[in-house]
Amino acid sequence: MDPILTTNILNVVYEVSTLAVVVLGLAVVFGLLNVMNLAHGEFVMIGAYCAFFVQTQDLPFLAAVPLALLVCGFIGLVVERILVRPLYARPFDTLLATWGLSMLLREAVEAIYGRGFRSVATPLTGSVDVLGAGYPAYRLLLTAVSIALVAGLVWWFVQSATGRRIRAVVNNPELAGSVGIPVTALARNTFVFGCCLAALAGVMLAPLLPVNPTLGLDFILKSFFVLVVGGLGSLVGLISGAGVIGGVESVVSAVSDRTWGYSTVLVIAILFLWLRPNGLFPRT
Amino acid sequence: MTGAANGEVFSFAGVTGGYGATTVVRGVHGAIAAGEACCVLGRNGVGKTTLMRLLTGHLLLRSGTVRLAGQPLDGLAPDERHRLGLVYCPQDRPVFDNLSVRDNLTLMGPIDAGRHAPLLAAFPVLEARMAQSSGTLSGGERKLLSFVRGIAEPGRLLLLDEPSEGVQQENVERMAGFLREAKAAGRALLVVEQNLAFARDIADRVIVMDRGEVVLAGSAAEIDEDTLAAHLQV
Repeated sequence: MDPILTTNILNVVYEVSTLAVVVLGLAVVFGLLNVMNLAHGEFVMIGAYCAFFVQTQDLPFLAAVPLALLVCGFIGLVVERILVRPLYARPFDTLLATWGLSMLLREAVEAIYGRGFRSVATPLTGSVDVLGAGYPAYRLLLTAVSIALVAGLVWWFVQSATGRRIRAVVNNPELAGSVGIPVTALARNTFVFGCCLAALAGVMLAPLLPVNPTLGLDFILKSFFVLVVGGLGSLVGLISGAGVIGGVESVVSAVSDRTWGYSTVLVIAILFLWLRPNGLFPRT
Repeated sequence: MTGAANGEVFSFAGVTGGYGATTVVRGVHGAIAAGEACCVLGRNGVGKTTLMRLLTGHLLLRSGTVRLAGQPLDGLAPDERHRLGLVYCPQDRPVFDNLSVRDNLTLMGPIDAGRHAPLLAAFPVLEARMAQSSGTLSGGERKLLSFVRGIAEPGRLLLLDEPSEGVQQENVERMAGFLREAKAAGRALLVVEQNLAFARDIADRVIVMDRGEVVLAGSAAEIDEDTLAAHLQV
């Protein structure tokens, strides 16, 4: 196969799978709590800064994983209690509140680290030969980890008792409480879990991104587009949405440049909002 | 607490509440002892379901008290009430229609041979569809599934909102049989019903509601058919 084509295909797979990890956290929280967490991207950003912090302390890269989970899990816990829970069933208010939170988190990180771009060293250097194309080993690893993570979570969601209870709450919240599902605790755990997933994505992506306080904006926007295109109904929708958005962006960026890639994604999202507002796989 | 001392499992008084600024239920009271069934009767729209939602914690009380075994339930979430032994089968959307029949029954624990087996044997329509999505069931079959789920739970108090709605007559009779068994086992039942024959079959006490208030209450034996019919006439 043509090495350039191979590289592009790998880029698409990389783009789609890492995007799916970020969107998964956002979508699970929205599905269960009806809360669109506009600060989701900032949890990715904080995860990335955790990777940077670990590097400044001369600790191994993997030490960033527990650190990011702890930091973002804790912030998520506090935010759920004081911001999200009092605003349940008020979707517009939660949008405003989490948007405010995103600004707060951005400013807080800026106060500590400043506006400048930071770089995190790639823990795995070198490239791997894939069908004649040299591809960065870390990207390849990241793609594999992302696919494994999404597949593992989907499997868990489908077959575990907790996954079934989450689906029960999404389907019929009133009945869920009455059959004894601790709805409040489940919602809290899910919110924290979504924040942790974003943090994990931030750590993983940190070596490939210019780490800066506004890094999350790009992710929340793209995640939002994924949900617009895929619909909020199902994991199939999420993955196909990530496929469309991540795929189109990386393909257009490859044949043209990133600006065109981004513009095309924006146009697709607008067309979907206009002509098919419930996405490819609407919630029934 | 005197209520518990009298063998009362469940009691409520002055129950008032509704939706937004609208008060739907006003000053409703009642008490149920262990092994007793109380039926709530009334025409459509008089607040029976609202009463159930107030008692189960899905709506906040504007005033009044609800006690389970003497313990006040004020401010407790539905799942906390469930833990104290309050089992509720709602009228609308009685099952999780995105889950299979089996998952509806095993959401909080595995199938129990002792409790589920006789129910599933009595309602083969469910047994045959265990793996099927409950969204494919008819309205009456969903009520049946909800009934089986509720009565198989060990809680001492069962609140059923129109359990017989849409259910085939032979299955309604089997339901009544299971409810009598539950009474014999010492459980307390509060049942909203439109089916007068079914209510007559199981009720020890009757509460008749009209426009959100109790207009008639007493033991089922004392209230004669004509008085009841007069209250339920449209």
